[in-house]
Amino acid sequence: MTGVAEAVRAYLPGLALLAGGAVAATLVADAVPGLQPLVVAVAIGVGVGNTVGVPDVAEPGVGVDKLFLETGIVLLGAAVAVEEFLTAGPTVLALVVAVVGGGLLFAEIAARGLFRIGSPTSSLLAAGASICGVSAVVAIGRVLDARGADITFAAATILLFDAATLVAFPLAGEWLGLTGRQFGVWAGVSMFSTGPVAAAGFAYSPEAGQWATVTKLARNSLLGGVAVAYSLAYAARSAADPGVRRLWAEFPKFLLGFLLVAVVANTGLLSPAALASIGRVSDALFALAFVGLGLSIRIDDMRAVGAAPVGAVLVHLLAVSAVALAAVRWLL
Amino acid sequence: MVSDAADGPDGRPDPNDEADTHAASADATGPAVVDRWTALDRGWQALALGLGIVAAHLVGQAL
Repeated sequence: MTGVAEAVRAYLPGLALLAGGAVAATLVADAVPGLQPLVVAVAIGVGVGNTVGVPDVAEPGVGVDKLFLETGIVLLGAAVAVEEFLTAGPTVLALVVAVVGGGLLFAEIAARGLFRIGSPTSSLLAAGASICGVSAVVAIGRVLDARGADITFAAATILLFDAATLVAFPLAGEWLGLTGRQFGVWAGVSMFSTGPVAAAGFAYSPEAGQWATVTKLARNSLLGGVAVAYSLAYAARSAADPGVRRLWAEFPKFLLGFLLVAVVANTGLLSPAALASIGRVSDALFALAFVGLGLSIRIDDMRAVGAAPVGAVLVHLLAVSAVALAAVRWLL
Repeated sequence: MVSDAADGPDGRPDPNDEADTHAASADATGPAVVDRWTALDRGWQALALGLGIVAAHLVGQAL
């Protein structure tokens, strides 16, 4: 098993950096009442990433942050009360489908009509803003055979909003007096990438974190359908890449794990002590992931983003979040 | 959300190589495991890790 040890060794410096940030975040949050450790983890990541930077030797380990996030989400299934989610499920699902469908159309119209952004950049921005952030930009970019520069440009715009909304949404939620469920669903349908949605949710309250994550997962699961719709609209794919295959390729597989763990936990197979322990592992994985999320936010990169895409995504965000806010207040 | 790793090679060894000696296959066990793991889509990796952690808790409470 020397091969395994050698492969793991390359990841150790980055993992140590993530672990150091997570421990520091926990200590700071314990010392300052009212501070959420996950928010501090993101802040520490941003601070380190934009001052000292990430050493080359730590890059492989730091890149594991998304695996930690997705594994943390799988384990979050153990904390979900399935009954409660099934009760609100149809309403939330209908809201997600309506917001994604309407948001995509609105973003395309705003980008092309108001800001004269051509395709495929308009479609990359629409997908990133409407479905699941940078992952959607990359996935739709692949479907449309977009240039690397277009994908980078759109991804940088989405990352800029990820950073801004991570701070703005919890503050807005407090100001608006939303309940945990209302805030979670609102953030889950309005914000962009999965990491910042979960971080903003847990910054608000544990209940909001669960609702934000579940709502965002429902939104992410639509990526395959949107990818097929775009490939048909652009006629950029041949019959060799059938729709069902594309649907499955873009489907977030960890969502299956989340559902499985939720089912296992709700059948009573796990003792309260085991559930509490799984919750602690999930929290630890989120802390590692959120340090990595902070490290990936580079302020210099965001300065290079142009005014037109920022304007188009801002108009989309304001419109969608206003409609979603009215909907969650009315429905939930 | 999609993973960085594409759904592609599954890391399985070529059947034609099965005539290798036991010593060689023992040496290759580590890299083969690593190759299989890294060839997995990140979503599958997260699913496997998550279910593994839950399974460990189930085993732990049964002992």
